[in-house]
Amino acid sequence: MGAAAQASVPGVYAWGVTVAPAAWSRGAPLLAKIAAVAAVLALLGGVLGERFWEGRARTVSLWGFVLSSALAWSAAPAALGPLRIDAPRGIAGMIGWALFAFASAAPALQGRREEQRLVDGAELVPRKTMARGDAALVTGGALVAAALQLLGWRAASAERELLVRFVALAAGLAIIGAAAEVALARHSARVKRSRLRRLRRAMAVLVVLALLGLTGVLFALRG
Amino acid sequence: MQLVDVLAIALLVAAGVAFFVGESALSRAEDLQALYWLAVGVVSLRAAVQVARPGAKT
Repeated sequence: MGAAAQASVPGVYAWGVTVAPAAWSRGAPLLAKIAAVAAVLALLGGVLGERFWEGRARTVSLWGFVLSSALAWSAAPAALGPLRIDAPRGIAGMIGWALFAFASAAPALQGRREEQRLVDGAELVPRKTMARGDAALVTGGALVAAALQLLGWRAASAERELLVRFVALAAGLAIIGAAAEVALARHSARVKRSRLRRLRRAMAVLVVLALLGLTGVLFALRG
Repeated sequence: MQLVDVLAIALLVAAGVAFFVGESALSRAEDLQALYWLAVGVVSLRAAVQVARPGAKT
């Protein structure tokens, strides 16, 4: 992973916490949105351009990202007012920008140990091949977790928004964990009558789920 | 892929949908609905893991 790619991770985080909310806040002009999109493109362009132009691409990407972000903030100054930014988001944004600055200023060095471990021409043999569907399962879980982050940004109050964020984060982590567990469980040793045993063991949870479903249907019919 | 794996994946999807609906209700301040759907999501997730986990090796 190149230095620009490493810096892009905290960069995207800083952008998501400080630039995007300002650009897409109520009453923000189109210029702010265009500048915010340009900032992300500059960041991604640095990651891609680093392969061909190395240091020059990194410099262009860094300044493109910083200046586009500054333009987005300048175009929507009302979004940066003290009443629009709460303390946790402000601190998160500061940490994001500090990490981005650190990652941009001190690119990762090529370790000697890494070079010694590489044997040119030797083909690495994977210990185990990934079964078909595992990646799709975990990616699906990650996509659902990401989709949960799209909701609740315009809740009635700041406390409600914070609660929705917390619930979305917890639910997203639980879904990713469960998807990984389901994917891993498919490769475990199977024994005879395992299917029945698994269903029997999960029966209590399935019954609770059915009762919840029934309750929902009854409430829906009453309403 | 066994039938129980398909059931586990279906329960995972159901959990995702339930969380989505629950979170949407939470943002609209409909707390009872939110609680219901989040509970459905948690139980579906638990059921998916329980169903997917294989039996003990004999």
